[in-house]
Amino acid sequence: MEVLVQLEQVSKSYEEKTAVRDLTLEIEAGSMFGLLGPNGAGKTSTIRMIVGITMPDSGKVSLFNKPWSSASLHRVGYLPEERGLYKKMKILDQLVFLGELRGLGAAEAARRAKTWCERMQIADSLHKRTEELSKGMQQKIQFIATLLHDPELIIMDEPFAGLDPVNAMLLQDTLLELRKQGNAILFSTHRMDQVEKLCDSICLINRGAAVLSGGMRDVKSRYERNRVIVHYEGQDGFLSHPAIAEYKNYAGHAEIRLKPHADAQDLLRTAAANSTITKFELVEPSLEEIFIEAVGGRADA
Amino acid sequence: MLKNTLLIAKREYVERVRSRVFRIMTVLVPIGMGAMAWLGGLGGQRMEQGVDSLAIVSDNASLAQQVQTALLSSDHPPRSVTVYAPATSADMEQVNQQVESHQINGYVLLDTAPDGIQNNPKWVSASSTDFIGGTEVHNAIITGLVRQALTARGMSDGQVDRLIHSAHVETMQVKGGKVTASDTGRSFAGAYALILVLYAAVLIYGINIARSVVEEKTSRIFEVLLSTASADELMLGKLLGVGATGLTQMAIWGALLVAFAGSQIAAAHGIHGLSSLGITKAELIFFAVFFLLGFYLYSGLAAALGSTVSAEQEVQQFSFILIAPLVVSVFMLPFVLGNPSSVASVVFSLLPPFAPIVMYMRICAQMPPWWQIGLSIGLLLASVLAMVWLAARIYRVGVLMYGKRATVPEILRWLRYS
Repeated sequence: MEVLVQLEQVSKSYEEKTAVRDLTLEIEAGSMFGLLGPNGAGKTSTIRMIVGITMPDSGKVSLFNKPWSSASLHRVGYLPEERGLYKKMKILDQLVFLGELRGLGAAEAARRAKTWCERMQIADSLHKRTEELSKGMQQKIQFIATLLHDPELIIMDEPFAGLDPVNAMLLQDTLLELRKQGNAILFSTHRMDQVEKLCDSICLINRGAAVLSGGMRDVKSRYERNRVIVHYEGQDGFLSHPAIAEYKNYAGHAEIRLKPHADAQDLLRTAAANSTITKFELVEPSLEEIFIEAVGGRADA
Repeated sequence: MLKNTLLIAKREYVERVRSRVFRIMTVLVPIGMGAMAWLGGLGGQRMEQGVDSLAIVSDNASLAQQVQTALLSSDHPPRSVTVYAPATSADMEQVNQQVESHQINGYVLLDTAPDGIQNNPKWVSASSTDFIGGTEVHNAIITGLVRQALTARGMSDGQVDRLIHSAHVETMQVKGGKVTASDTGRSFAGAYALILVLYAAVLIYGINIARSVVEEKTSRIFEVLLSTASADELMLGKLLGVGATGLTQMAIWGALLVAFAGSQIAAAHGIHGLSSLGITKAELIFFAVFFLLGFYLYSGLAAALGSTVSAEQEVQQFSFILIAPLVVSVFMLPFVLGNPSSVASVVFSLLPPFAPIVMYMRICAQMPPWWQIGLSIGLLLASVLAMVWLAARIYRVGVLMYGKRATVPEILRWLRYS
């Protein structure tokens, strides 16, 4: 797979604060990459170095297998965390302007703007000014502006923050569609639970440094499936099984954490022998739990 | 590089020229200027009229006669001059009463001294401030006294006339190596016109460019822009775009002025085309050059100042910083026009913030050496570019700063991180 973004030992400091420390990561074409971490972990600082808004103090940033240069930015679509549009400008003019700035011809930009607006069902807002649109519609326009020039690399900083559920779903579907077409997508978020199913690869960062990174399955497989959810009827005597480290018992519903390397199957056999089991699920740890375990509860959330 | 700059300039230009503010300004300013000129004209006439009816009270009939003649043959003769000479006490009473009831503006009390030389003329009027047009009266009294003294010493009227006329000083000026008649009024008009136009342009478009910078910051669209174009491209494009808007507006006003100058209405007021407004072609070219450079310098400064703030309301706070050098230039106007080649004039005409106006004033008053004009233009150009560079740096750093207005040390520190 072609590597579109490569960061090697990248560091960036502001004043006394180290925003990013020795960060190394790679993003492949056709993949969805999640840059995850609590607020203030250094996600935005990292992204800004990729799009050239700031330069790293040390380390190397490569885009499309070449050392970073502003010429590569025509192939990148960037949606900042705090995003906006010109208030008084008509939507179509605005999209054409941003498209032209990324190397499209005016006519082509206008054509694409219309197609996208139809796809997002906001075609009637093309001739309105930004200030006349609702916030949700403005968010759609911002996505379109990011994607208009068909960038190979799409970078979105906290794209789901502040989205209404309809737009969040729309964005998610659009991103999945783009990935299928071979585009690479990098997005950051502090809501890890929202993105588990989206990401192919992740990099968990805390205090500017990578805590965990790699393919999603790879990362998860490094952590044991040590949580069990049991729905049962009858006796709860199985909860004293030696494999259990701790549990919470609600009426007919127990949440269990197993001891390391414990035998979950033996627990199931014991439970089934004494009670009626309607559900027995061995749950893999969530990203959030993995993160908390990895940083040892020292997250700067 | 160039393509992005032009794209940004185009956007700024199109958005501005389309705006309602632009249309309103284009129409309102000429109307306002016309109204001001008309009002100014009215005021001027009042001033000229000054004293329009007065009396001369004297014990010497022939002296009073001389003063009366001088008054009536002055540039702006009063409507009526009554002579009471030799005056009786009844006359005095009557004149005082006329002054009090505002039938006349006042009277000149002119009693001859025993030696005929040590006279003490007095102006008597209803109020202490009522001496507009005083110079005319003053001059007439002197002329009258001199004539009286000279004729008393045996000079003929004709001789006296010639003597007085030959003492009139004609103002001449060296232009292009030739001595020509000078019109100081015209020189002033050119300089004042530039100051007025530059002042208006800086106020309107300087603030405008600052607003546009602040809008991009508050709407946070500048982060998207900065991820495609460099801050230098953005700033230069913005300056060119807003500048082109200003020039379009000036061109419209200029065309209106030319049309007016050649029109019937103007002809009725004795103006036939631009040349009779006293503006030469060379001055027009220098006007354009210095206007443009000054405009871009101040716009760049406005952009830099705009980049330091984060809310539009704060833009008002620094409008004074923008205008201050212009105000200083205005204060220097009489000095520079009077002493165009003095050290202070030369220095100020080279210092970029003052150069646009001061150098243009010098050109109007007396053509400076070419190297000074060249140096002045060169320094201005360099400082325009420096200003764009600085504005771009501050603008870029603005991405990293949120909320509050940055202080100068903060900006300097952050500049290192961008």
